Amino acid sequence: MKKKCAAGMILAGVMAVSLLGGCSGESKNEDGVKEFTAFFAVPGSEINDDNEIQQIIAEKTGVRVKETWLTGQTASEAVGTLIAGGEYPDFIDGGDAAGQLYEAGAFVPLDEYLDDYPNIKNYYTEEEWDKLRQDDGHIYWINQFQNIKGEEKSTTHNDEAFWIQTRVLEWAGYPEVHTLDQYFDLLESYVEANPTMEDGTENIAYTILCEDWRYYCLENAPQFLDGYPNDGSVIVDPEELKIIDYNTTPTAKRYFEKLNDEYQKGIVDPESFTQTYDEYIAKLSTGRVLGMVDQWWNFAYSVNDSLKQQGLDEKGCSYVPLPITIDEGIRNQWHNSGGVLNVGSGLGISTSCDDVEGALQFIDDLLSQEIHDLRFWGVEGTDYEVGDDGLFYRTEEQRTQAADTAYKASHICTYSYFPQYNGTSDDGINAMKPEEQPGEFFDSLNSAVQRCFEAYGCETYVDMLGTNEAPGPWYPMYSYSNTMTTSTPGGVAWTKMGEIKHEYLPRVVMAPDFEEAWDEYMDVYEDCDPQAFLDEMQAELDRRIEEAAKYE
Amino acid sequence: MAFLSKKKKQTVVEAPVKLSWKEVKKQKALLIWSAVIVIYGVIFYYLPLGGWVMAFQDYKPKDGLFHSAFIGLEKFQQLFSDATFLRVIRNTLAMGVINLAVTFVAAIAFAILLNEVRTKGGKKVVQTISYLPHFLSWIIVTGILHDMLSGTGIVNEILVNLNIIDQPINFFAHKQYFWPIVAFANVWKETGWNAIIYLAAITSIDPSLYEAASIDGAGRWAKIKNVTLPGIRPTIMILLLMNVGNVLNAGFEIQYLLGNGLVQSVSQTIDIYVLNWGISQGDFSLGTAAGIFKSVVSIILIVIANQIAKHNGDERLF
Repeated sequence: MKKKCAAGMILAGVMAVSLLGGCSGESKNEDGVKEFTAFFAVPGSEINDDNEIQQIIAEKTGVRVKETWLTGQTASEAVGTLIAGGEYPDFIDGGDAAGQLYEAGAFVPLDEYLDDYPNIKNYYTEEEWDKLRQDDGHIYWINQFQNIKGEEKSTTHNDEAFWIQTRVLEWAGYPEVHTLDQYFDLLESYVEANPTMEDGTENIAYTILCEDWRYYCLENAPQFLDGYPNDGSVIVDPEELKIIDYNTTPTAKRYFEKLNDEYQKGIVDPESFTQTYDEYIAKLSTGRVLGMVDQWWNFAYSVNDSLKQQGLDEKGCSYVPLPITIDEGIRNQWHNSGGVLNVGSGLGISTSCDDVEGALQFIDDLLSQEIHDLRFWGVEGTDYEVGDDGLFYRTEEQRTQAADTAYKASHICTYSYFPQYNGTSDDGINAMKPEEQPGEFFDSLNSAVQRCFEAYGCETYVDMLGTNEAPGPWYPMYSYSNTMTTSTPGGVAWTKMGEIKHEYLPRVVMAPDFEEAWDEYMDVYEDCDPQAFLDEMQAELDRRIEEAAKYE
Repeated sequence: MAFLSKKKKQTVVEAPVKLSWKEVKKQKALLIWSAVIVIYGVIFYYLPLGGWVMAFQDYKPKDGLFHSAFIGLEKFQQLFSDATFLRVIRNTLAMGVINLAVTFVAAIAFAILLNEVRTKGGKKVVQTISYLPHFLSWIIVTGILHDMLSGTGIVNEILVNLNIIDQPINFFAHKQYFWPIVAFANVWKETGWNAIIYLAAITSIDPSLYEAASIDGAGRWAKIKNVTLPGIRPTIMILLLMNVGNVLNAGFEIQYLLGNGLVQSVSQTIDIYVLNWGISQGDFSLGTAAGIFKSVVSIILIVIANQIAKHNGDERLF
């Protein structure tokens, strides 16, 4: 009895100690490599523990980072759980919930360290660093994306658009499609002529992803249809510098009326509003879906790989973007050039990290050209070749390899949510990333997309839409609305508006009587006090313009 | 009925044990083990209640429990002036009551039916199969439901092929189907498991009662009505009482996983509300206030139910 009791106590003690041990952020391995932990509040796939490039980077920098991603939760749920627990991984990107982490005091201020790390310091201009300052004057996170070094080489439209499969365009003889009506007319006539795919699977003309935070696929198209860029939560009138609510514009009403019309005709997938993200991706991966609104990064990586593996990409099931607006003659701003600094989130270092210098040194190292090439191009001779002219290229075999999920997990390590560059490499000729290398990019496209681009006289996805400069120093406004919390009336209104729209927008689209449903929606919408939200956005817009004026 | 109440009166009254060192020494092992349990209870059930303070504060994680400002009942006022909260109370109560009623009746009926099965093998097979779903996690159950009830799922296929409907119904897009789907899922998942306890209670009924009933000319139905049901009545009452206290725990996973924007006004429960506001929006105070409300209502419900049971002279919890 006594022995058992003692054994139990020891066991309990061991468990308690191991729990405590599990909490400490980083540790040193036998091979002298320092281990950090990182959590990114976005979906992603974990790589293998013995990943080869991660090992090479660890040898060169002395640091390995164990990355974890969002699974099955929203960003704010995951972050809220971290805050409630009070223990953080060393690196965090709070995604949409970065503001909560800031309010909870989870980040280490980085501004005082910056001068010691030249690669990080040069990553942004003084003005851009100032934009990243929070209201207490400190910098807590570094946004990782859309930072262009040297000459811009954008080829992929990484953002939102009305996408369409190339087979639809090919069937119709590559017509000019500019308006919402033309887009749906094309889809309608295509499904009428081709109700099924070659193997007999029924085509779905248009589907809408509407799950949780991804409901932008339904919700924010009106801003683009009116020719405004992706401010995300509002429209900014660049002349008057006034905030406009895109939920209530005449264009919004016309857009939803069109969707309603198409829903009644059976063009819009009836499962649109109840499907989960996984079901949506599975659906796109079968090649059945002819068109949808989405962000490239939300679907393309998984869907393109799977279409390629089934050989469906050659049959015209890959998606290209179309420059859709509500009427003819509006200049579309689906694509913006020049890099967009989203100040609303980025990579931060948490207060639980006990080696801030080491962590920053690692970020600094990752930005050096050598490591950057390792991250995105891979190992020379294995993942890419260097031509006589010094240009990097990949063989067909290497491209297929790079699209293979198992290979990615065991070999490739991009540290994709750490700071990175787009644009041109230090050598002046190569792109920072393979998908931006012009020759490499075009060769890696499947023949159906190549034919499509040729027909429209385009070389890249971006050419399909045309490109625009960022409209002003305030852009993008979503970086502010994303950080709003319910501690202000505007934040409460923003939350409520989201709740209402989640319920009523699908209802508006499905309603047998559109006008009645729209009026009902507008009534409930007004009850959320959207003005409180718009006022706070206006105040932020004014503040940003004022800040920018200091640098002119 | 008569012989049962006679049995009750026969309980043996034991002489009260005197509290003495000798007695303590004798029961040393028991005392140590109960102390462990008491400490466990204090640490894991009572200490966390200190967190209730948050509901009366404007809690900020940065300032912690000791430095956040007290704001009295403001959060409760905010809670009860929020139409969404009133709606989630309604949803929780409705789904709780429906689930309680349906799973309760289903479990008892199933246990009695199973008890009437003559072949022992058949009985075992049915019992095992029926309680297996209990071990599936909700994520799997909701996955199955999603597949079954989708536009191209088996349910729609059957209904269309039988010409009951001409267009597939999108079950998750209509509010009126949500509560029945939840109730159905609960019944499917828990009936077999819940029936085990009733089956055990039925086994403990004295077989001589059945013999006596047979001699009195009772058929199967009469035996169920006059022997089996009264025999498991104490079990039924106790479980009913415990479940009444659980009515507000109408569920979290299933509503969370099956809900979508279209049905959110009927799908969200108090637990989801607490998650949305407490964790996602970071308003710990409001989340705590909603949690306190739920606990208080649960306690009131269970006390009332217990009083009623007491009044009727049935088994009770306290």
